Amino acid sequence: MIEAIIQMQHVFKTYPSQISALSDVTLEIFPGEFTFIAGPSGSGKSTLLRILYCSEKPTSGEVIVHGMHITQPGFKKIYQLRQAMGIVSQDFKLLKDRTVTENITFALEVTGHPREEAKWKALEILRHLGLEERESDSIFSLSAGEQQRVAIARALVNSPSLLLADEPTGNLDAKMTLRVMDILTDLHQKGSTIVFATQFTGLIKRYSYRVIQILNGQILDGRKADTNKIHQG
Amino acid sequence: MIFFLQDMMRRTFRNMMGNLFSNLITIGIIAISMLIFSTFTLLAYNLTNFFNLWEDKIEVIAYLKRGTPSSEVEALLSKTRLLEGVETLRYVSPYDAMDFMEMKLGRQKNLLEGIQPAVLPASLEIQLKKEYRNSTKIKEVVAQLKKIPQFEEIQYGQEWVETFSVLIHILRLTQWILGGLLLIAIVFITSHTLQLTISSRREEIEVMQWMGASPAFIRVPFYVEGLIQGLLGGGLAILFLFLLHQGLFFNLPPSIQAWLAKIPVLFLPAKTTVWILLGGMILGFFGSIVASMRVLQYK
Ligand SMILES: Nc1ncnc2c1ncn2[C@@H]1O[C@H](COP(=O)(O)OP(=O)(O)OP(=O)(O)O)[C@@H](O)[C@H]1O
Ligand SMILES: [Mg+2]
Repeated sequence: MIEAIIQMQHVFKTYPSQISALSDVTLEIFPGEFTFIAGPSGSGKSTLLRILYCSEKPTSGEVIVHGMHITQPGFKKIYQLRQAMGIVSQDFKLLKDRTVTENITFALEVTGHPREEAKWKALEILRHLGLEERESDSIFSLSAGEQQRVAIARALVNSPSLLLADEPTGNLDAKMTLRVMDILTDLHQKGSTIVFATQFTGLIKRYSYRVIQILNGQILDGRKADTNKIHQG
Repeated sequence: MIFFLQDMMRRTFRNMMGNLFSNLITIGIIAISMLIFSTFTLLAYNLTNFFNLWEDKIEVIAYLKRGTPSSEVEALLSKTRLLEGVETLRYVSPYDAMDFMEMKLGRQKNLLEGIQPAVLPASLEIQLKKEYRNSTKIKEVVAQLKKIPQFEEIQYGQEWVETFSVLIHILRLTQWILGGLLLIAIVFITSHTLQLTISSRREEIEVMQWMGASPAFIRVPFYVEGLIQGLLGGGLAILFLFLLHQGLFFNLPPSIQAWLAKIPVLFLPAKTTVWILLGGMILGFFGSIVASMRVLQYK
């Protein structure tokens, strides 16, 4: 039996404003799966992802990621959890006064990679995303779509075994969206698990990946986990 | 490892430069606090030192009753010599006392004209063993001497000994009460400044946490900043104290200088200096821990 890489059990999230963002969410995602989290704006996609990378605590319920019980009181290893994943958040979280390259090498340096190695890796990933000419520009001077690509580049530079991407193509044109999808497909084929939150049904329809539908914080039926397609390990 | 240290130092330096003004204020306040504390330390140190020197020279003078027959003197000497704590003693006859007074008075010795040596009492000058030359032990010896009936009066500068001990005690007490208060102040101010530094780096810290940087990696530069503030503050305090110590001495009127020349006014010993620097560092470090506990939670 394959151990799920992500497990959510009866997860509820009510914000202090009494808005119920998630209610009774139970799901499992297996290693090597590419999963879309689909739902309209305000349905709770970002909330779900934030809970997975421990930036938000659920009101109740249990969450296990990479075998870590992250909802247990006293869970202290958030940094280990995050080292084991790549995160693209909806608001990018870039350092605006630094250059593109600096933003990416920063991510590597803070987890203990030597600077030279970081620089080399950064350039490679920037080339993939068509940003090689902007490498020494500061984030301020980039368009939203360009910033989004930097955020993706930063999340991918460690070749994470689990990628949590919140609307990573929201600001991209069709061509760039395809480019990003190709890169993610490539990562997926190398065995990484990818969780991709988006409200664009058009994008989802192009691929045969698993879809978890979410509406008003509740999981609807979607394409079930296809255990035949799951990579082992 | 080298890379790690370099990186930490680079980040610390950048943080401090980015927040230069509050860093300077903090270092200044630490320096002033430590200066107040070390001034008291220096005063207490010198006074203790002076007291010890003086105690070292302390001797007991036992005056014999007038009319004690000289035949008894020999026995009295050997009896006294055997007392606990007595090292050496010297018999001062009335004639010796007279000579001594004449010498002391010098040109005014005619004042002594007509005074018969016999009216002066004979006395024993008693040197104590080293371990008896302090205010508590000396009393034991004095108590013994008082039991000998041939002695009229025993003198050893008791008022001085007591006043001095009390003074030193008060100084030491002030030193530590002040020290305690300043300690709290220093921890408070460094933690405050570090909270400023930390909040000016909030965005960066958030991204670091995002990327899974370890808590130690995030915190160490702030700890180092606290250490450096404490070290510089302590260093400045010692520098100022040194200048004060030098300047004060040379700006005194010559008469007092001459008088002081006999008593050494020492600067703090190296060990104490190192302790003050270390103390500054520990306090700065403590301040940064308080700050990072308050504002560096992983989110
Ligand atoms: N920090 C917050 N405080 C209060 N309410 C919040 C907070 N974050 C989200 N919400 C609410 O929770 C609900 C779900 O929000 P969420 O951001 O998860 O939706 P989403 O599916 O990601 O939407 P979008 O596609 O627009 O990004 C919304 O009603 C939102 O208003
Ligand atoms: Mg969202």
